[in-house]
Amino acid sequence: MPAESNTETGEVATPAGDGTGETGTPVPDTESIDDEGFVIGSGRSGVVRQLGHDDFDPVGTLVLIAIYMVIVGAMWIFMYFVEFLGGDLTVIG
Amino acid sequence: MEIHRYEKIWLAGALLLIVGFIATVSYGAVGAGIEMINDEGGQVDSAALDEHPKFSEPGTYKTGPNEYDVYVIAKQFLYEPGTSEPIRVPANSRVTFHVTSADVIHGYEIVGTNANTMAVPGQVSTMTVEFNEPRKYGLLCNEYCGSAHHAMEGSIQVVPQSEWNETMVVN
Repeated sequence: MPAESNTETGEVATPAGDGTGETGTPVPDTESIDDEGFVIGSGRSGVVRQLGHDDFDPVGTLVLIAIYMVIVGAMWIFMYFVEFLGGDLTVIG
Repeated sequence: MEIHRYEKIWLAGALLLIVGFIATVSYGAVGAGIEMINDEGGQVDSAALDEHPKFSEPGTYKTGPNEYDVYVIAKQFLYEPGTSEPIRVPANSRVTFHVTSADVIHGYEIVGTNANTMAVPGQVSTMTVEFNEPRKYGLLCNEYCGSAHHAMEGSIQVVPQSEWNETMVVN
């Protein structure tokens, strides 16, 4: 266990508990930071990660919305220019 | 307010989509010449259609070279003409339909085409279309008009110019 951590393995690090370091900021359980596969909800609540506004990077959402936009745009072009304008007997007067 | 850069992207995309929708519809009206059906057809007394100069004898009337008017009465549950005998128009002609209803609101849709209007009692709906190739079109009512609404249908026969004769003008 690294020397800077005073949280024992398995304990939940909380800002109010043993997870508080000398500076008063929460100290993550360094052994568990890279843990993978823990049960959802059982993660250490004391692990605090600060994200800047633009550090949030939901690139998957961006790709999904881009795909939706392409589908909607293509359907609009098909429906209006091919099906509607290309249709027979258009009202002209 | 700070807006995330991705949010700016999809805000711009959504705005572009709205502008694109309006632009294409504007193009359809101005560039492609798509007309909306309005109230220019005027009004009639739906209880006295038999006294109307045209609706008393509905059918096809010649109004000019390759131009025809077709007067149609929709009523529960038929088109007159259209149901018991097809509406006949010549190929390569410009046809204006004048459609009204004798009882309740009906629909007048030339099946599979953009020609579609409501038939409203007391109101004449007019729409002009161009018929090119000789073929048969179906007609149907797309406004619920009563118990036999589903059976309300008719047809339009586009007759080749060579077979067209004046006896077909008024059905």
